Amino acid sequence: MTKNFNFCIVDDDDIYQFTMKKTIESLNLAKSIIAFSDGEEALNFMIENLNKDDELPDIILLDINMPIMDGFQFMEEYIKIKPNLGKKITIYMVSSSVDIADIERAKRISDISDYIIKPIKKGKLQSIISKLLSE
Amino acid sequence: MDKRLNPQTTAIIAINSDEIIYQFNAGAETLLGYSASDMIGLKKTNFFLVEEEYQNFKKDIASRYSIKDSNFDPYQVLAKNNDYDSREWTVERKDGSTFIAHSTLIPLKTDSGESVGFMRILKNVTDQKQIESELLRKNQVLNTAEKITMTGNWQWDTVINKVEWSSNLFNIFEVDPNESLNFETYFSFVHPEDKEIVSISFEKSINDKKFYDLLHRIKSTSGKTKTIQLLGEVITDNKGHVIEIIGTCQDVTEQRMAEIKFKGLLESAPDAMVIVNDKGKIQLINKQAEKLFGYQSEELINKPVELLIPKRYKDKHTSHRDLFFNIPKTRKMGQGRELYGINKQGLEIPIQISLSPLKTEEGLLVSAAIRDITFQKKAEKKILEANDSLEVLAKKLTTQNIQLADFAHITSHNLRAPVSNLNSLLDFYKTAESEGERTILFEKFEIVINHLTETLNTLIEALKTKDDSDIEIEMLTFNEVLNKTKEILSGQILKTDTKITSDFTTNPNIKYNRVYLESIFLNLVGNAIKYKSEDRSPEIFISSALEDGIQNLKFKDNGLGINLERHGHKIFGLNKVFHRHPDAKGVGLFMTKVQVESMGGKISVESDVNVGSTFKINFNE
Repeated sequence: MTKNFNFCIVDDDDIYQFTMKKTIESLNLAKSIIAFSDGEEALNFMIENLNKDDELPDIILLDINMPIMDGFQFMEEYIKIKPNLGKKITIYMVSSSVDIADIERAKRISDISDYIIKPIKKGKLQSIISKLLSE
Repeated sequence: MDKRLNPQTTAIIAINSDEIIYQFNAGAETLLGYSASDMIGLKKTNFFLVEEEYQNFKKDIASRYSIKDSNFDPYQVLAKNNDYDSREWTVERKDGSTFIAHSTLIPLKTDSGESVGFMRILKNVTDQKQIESELLRKNQVLNTAEKITMTGNWQWDTVINKVEWSSNLFNIFEVDPNESLNFETYFSFVHPEDKEIVSISFEKSINDKKFYDLLHRIKSTSGKTKTIQLLGEVITDNKGHVIEIIGTCQDVTEQRMAEIKFKGLLESAPDAMVIVNDKGKIQLINKQAEKLFGYQSEELINKPVELLIPKRYKDKHTSHRDLFFNIPKTRKMGQGRELYGINKQGLEIPIQISLSPLKTEEGLLVSAAIRDITFQKKAEKKILEANDSLEVLAKKLTTQNIQLADFAHITSHNLRAPVSNLNSLLDFYKTAESEGERTILFEKFEIVINHLTETLNTLIEALKTKDDSDIEIEMLTFNEVLNKTKEILSGQILKTDTKITSDFTTNPNIKYNRVYLESIFLNLVGNAIKYKSEDRSPEIFISSALEDGIQNLKFKDNGLGINLERHGHKIFGLNKVFHRHPDAKGVGLFMTKVQVESMGGKISVESDVNVGSTFKINFNE
């Protein structure tokens, strides 16, 4: 497999960011890994890089519970800027929440590919990538 | 006065044996209109009589003396038999008009007994006849009236114990009209069970010289039981001795039956029935009413119905009653209100009343059907109580459900996250290749474990708060609590140049738990300072008030504000932070909410981004 994916982690949990980065690195798949502590920071980055395909992520791992702008609020804003994006981005909602309400809500958003309950193990990440490559 | 009509005027007409009139007196001239000179010497014995009546007279004489041959002279027969005849004749006057005369025909004889003719004496009885027929007619009317009203009349001569009845009374008692009567005749018909009251009543009537009306039963000749009503009058002589009692007797069996039927209906009604006249006087009550109110029927008859109504309703009731008599129609009484009756013991009974007008001969009556609803009331009360406690329970459960949901949410978000971090870290630790890597991982472990410990402590504190049912309450002064808060936060207040003002004048005190109130002040004032605007120094205004019986407390600041549209739903959640502040942990508001709610209060917030926030606590909502 080639190192051609830009990963983006949006999560306010420092430890999660740390472990996720390590997991992605261990798979040797990432061209780059960027991380943001809340939805607003991530959104601002995207808006600044609308047409810079190299900078924009291929995969976003989006947390739900974050300060300032949570995962769902990010999705609302993302849908607004999506037509202006030059690149197809795959978004996974990643949360420690096992709340049915959260899961159902995430499933109703078509731009979210899947809902993954933390922690994400190496194997799960691998299958996500394989799926993405096969498309 | 017209002599012709004078009943005293007597016509005397004498006829000799050759039937020739030889005397015609002045009375005859007056009554018949002929003059004596016209008549004397004429053989005109029968010319002023009606032929038909003459023939009847002839027949009578024939039958009296058994004469078969129709060719005979009745006058001769009377004379021969030395007999006379007295009857009424219709007499024709000279002018053709007629009158009814009482005529006596007497044969005239010489001393030796030789028949020498007749004398006819006539008296005008037309008036008497009229009076007589009038009397007969009146008697007939009376008889008819008595028959129609099933009444008879009687006279009892108490001196010789002779009783006379009118013909209809014979009908009522079914007695042969020819039977001779005395008091015992009547008494023998009195129903055995009523004999005693009848004797007593008659005795009393005679003693008091005043007739006491009497209603009793009789057994008629055919064995029928009838109810009769006796009305009468006692007559005394001038010495005051009772000499006669007269009166009427009415067969009231049917009325009595109707009354009995009505009473039966009344008694069979499932409800207590009270019948009242337009003066508000009780006329009739049934057994159920006696039972319900604890009175005997006699105690209530002709008493005001207000006797059965508690004092507080009496005045209103009288006017309501008048209103009903003005527009009488069947209706429920006191629709939508709780009604009470009062029994003899003075106990109030919850009741339901339906009123119906009742038209009778004695005027408009109102029948009130009264139902004791004590049982329903009790059941209703029970249901209401059950409902109340259910509502309380439902409220409690709702609160508990919300709290449970809160905890589910907290465990899901705030406990699972660090645990999953620990798991991930553990995986890396297992595969770590260098000591340096392990040290880094260990530091991370420490962070997560500290975070987890903090979360758990907060949760335990929250659980303790929610669970504290017998928490200590004391009278606290807002100002005192604020001063303590200022002391604790003095460093930050000084550093940020925070201005704190307050107004607790309208509601300076509250009964509350000291620790909670101090914690609420510390959290809200602390937050106001922590999330201050970069552009201005913090100003906090704290005020207390009593609005609609609810004690409230407001914290108004001029800080960053919170985007409520975005965060409103999770503002009081655990570990929810809304600002990129290094000290933001999302614990303060969570704990404040838990504390306020555990004491039965509510906390709410109004906020404008970059203008400020106002937190409002309703302590006893």
